[in-house]
Amino acid sequence: MKLLVTGAGGFLGRYVVAEALRRGHAVRAMVRGSSEGLAGLDHPALELVKADLRSRRGLTDAVSGVDAVLHLAAAKSGDLYAQYAGTVVATENLMAAMTEANVRRIVLISSFSVYDYLKAKSFSVLDENSPIEKDAFDRDEYAHTKLVQERLVREHASAAGWGFTILRPGVIYGRNNLFTARIGVNAGRFWLRIAGFARLPLTYVENCAEAIVLAAERDAALGQTLNVVDDDMPTQRKYAAMARARLSPKPLIVPMPFAIIWFLAGMGVVTNRLLFRGRAKIPGIFVPARLAARCKPLRFSNQKIKQVLGWKSRYAMGEALDRSVSDKRIEATPPTKERSPAPAEVAA
Amino acid sequence: MTMTAQTDVSPVAREQAASAGAARAVRLKAAVVGTGKISEEHLKYLRADANVELAAVCDLSSALAQYAVARFGASQAFTDCAKMLADVKPDVLHILTPPHTHFKMVSDALNAGAHVIVEKPVAPTNREFNELWKLAQSKKRLIVEDHNYRFNEPVLKIEQLLREGQLGEVREITVRMALPIRKTGGRYADENLPHPSHRMPAGVLHEFITHLCYLALRFLPSVDRVSAAWANVGGGTLFKYDDLDALVIGGPVHARIRFTAAAAPDTFSLTVRGSRGWAQTDLFQPYLRLVLPRKGGAQLSPLVNHIANGIGLASAGLRGFTNKVLQKTPYEGLQTFLHHTYRAFRERSQPPVTYDDMDRASRLVDMLVDEANRI
Repeated sequence: MKLLVTGAGGFLGRYVVAEALRRGHAVRAMVRGSSEGLAGLDHPALELVKADLRSRRGLTDAVSGVDAVLHLAAAKSGDLYAQYAGTVVATENLMAAMTEANVRRIVLISSFSVYDYLKAKSFSVLDENSPIEKDAFDRDEYAHTKLVQERLVREHASAAGWGFTILRPGVIYGRNNLFTARIGVNAGRFWLRIAGFARLPLTYVENCAEAIVLAAERDAALGQTLNVVDDDMPTQRKYAAMARARLSPKPLIVPMPFAIIWFLAGMGVVTNRLLFRGRAKIPGIFVPARLAARCKPLRFSNQKIKQVLGWKSRYAMGEALDRSVSDKRIEATPPTKERSPAPAEVAA
Repeated sequence: MTMTAQTDVSPVAREQAASAGAARAVRLKAAVVGTGKISEEHLKYLRADANVELAAVCDLSSALAQYAVARFGASQAFTDCAKMLADVKPDVLHILTPPHTHFKMVSDALNAGAHVIVEKPVAPTNREFNELWKLAQSKKRLIVEDHNYRFNEPVLKIEQLLREGQLGEVREITVRMALPIRKTGGRYADENLPHPSHRMPAGVLHEFITHLCYLALRFLPSVDRVSAAWANVGGGTLFKYDDLDALVIGGPVHARIRFTAAAAPDTFSLTVRGSRGWAQTDLFQPYLRLVLPRKGGAQLSPLVNHIANGIGLASAGLRGFTNKVLQKTPYEGLQTFLHHTYRAFRERSQPPVTYDDMDRASRLVDMLVDEANRI
């Protein structure tokens, strides 16, 4: 297949490009003009295209001739309007270009953030059937814009008769991305760990990249929404300890009891309503919807993606963490088709 | 070139002032084009004013327009402004799109019979502004440019002090803005998708100088001489300029207009020095510092001023913290500006920002830009 990867210069994008090349696909990697995210990646089946999805300029040409689009590009920071531009407007522009170029297959990389964690019961199983947020106005910009993005793709693709798949990765970890907000708060040398007993919906970046490429390859994925979570679903306590053991300098992990933070968040809500008529801006960790999204103790299932894609998490957590801190720039050295080594050899 | 302040020269405004007595509670139909960040402040007002119906919003992004519908209760969303004007026929159109689009948008709105509230600048040049104003007059409609900072509480307080004679006659003005427009990741420093304002005559500084000019002009009786040093301190090709240092002299009053991207923290300060005393504020971190003759005479005035200002600064610090918690922004004046503007539309009276205010501001901007071209 010929695949267009948007957001190819980002953390996940580089691995998706490498994985698609490893699986023998031709890849057109879309990066922004200033991006150096694919520096060092050289492959005969790789084509680099510079474009910015926030503008329609040059997009139809960039999209033309591909069999499917793996849409990873999104804004993860900035105010609401910056995230609308980088996530929602970008998706509108991409789909308009796909329409013009008659490209009819899209794999959208959404997020676990779309689920309604306040509604989910503690220790229940969160899967693809769990309720999603209505609009997440009061939670955070990222969740809101990812919800809108999902809705746009679903509606547009359904109306146009495109093939679409929506993947919702859990927490993607890997090189330079071992801390996750689901642990708690990263305060430089200190990791404030909230809810040590809560399980983490982790997916190692190479495992996730494989799921994304598989979703483009498999017809069974058409019309599906799939969570991407590895088999390892460690507790915060276990993951933080294993990640810490591999980091230098080692962060100091400070446990914070979930019950106390949850109580403070509740007090914050009451105080805000009584004293400020709900207008006060409270630190995210004390906003119940955000705290629940980060730290609520839940269980997770990856049965559906295994059934639909035949995917399994190739790297167990220990090996994945080792690869994350290895000296080898794994994502920058995809093997050519002619000499495809087993994945394990790449890391050696 | 000399320009002089006048009370009002607009026949439309005179006509409207004459019929002010016929005020009645008219519910006006408003529409908004451009649902970017600044729209939030306009939409908050429109949602809250019971005498305004928020009939429609328009943006090139359907999703952003739908967001405004969901968040602020607009009745309809459009992606084509011409269609919105034709279908909705608003009484008032808020034009909140990038500056280079304003001329066409304002023309279209006036031709469709709508009053216009437009973000600054109305047009890139004074000539184009006056073209639009003539069109507005021919259609018996108004253009009102957003001069929101004029309506921030500290500025209104300084104007009151001047009216009361506490500062004496105005002699010096300093309007100074420091903003990190070159900050990596910021909207103006984005090399991947350059902000449209880079195309304006003074580059992205054109977005800010209208604010600086209209504030200076509140206290300048005329503009007799202008000199300006423009610079691109940070270098590179994206920014035309990132620095302005200008001196404007009108009669006995000297005004310094300053913009820098190189100094911290973010500041929008106004200092007005009169023949009796002076007042200073920062609109981003509001406070009011007053140095005036106090009871106790010349010997005790410095002591009293310092004590009074110390207490005032401490109170302003607490207020600033509260404002931050309550998410109050420096756009507080925009709500006052819109309130007075809508009242003027309803009562057919003179709006708070007159033709003369807009004409003087755009002429001063032109004069400053001409200085850049002279270098």
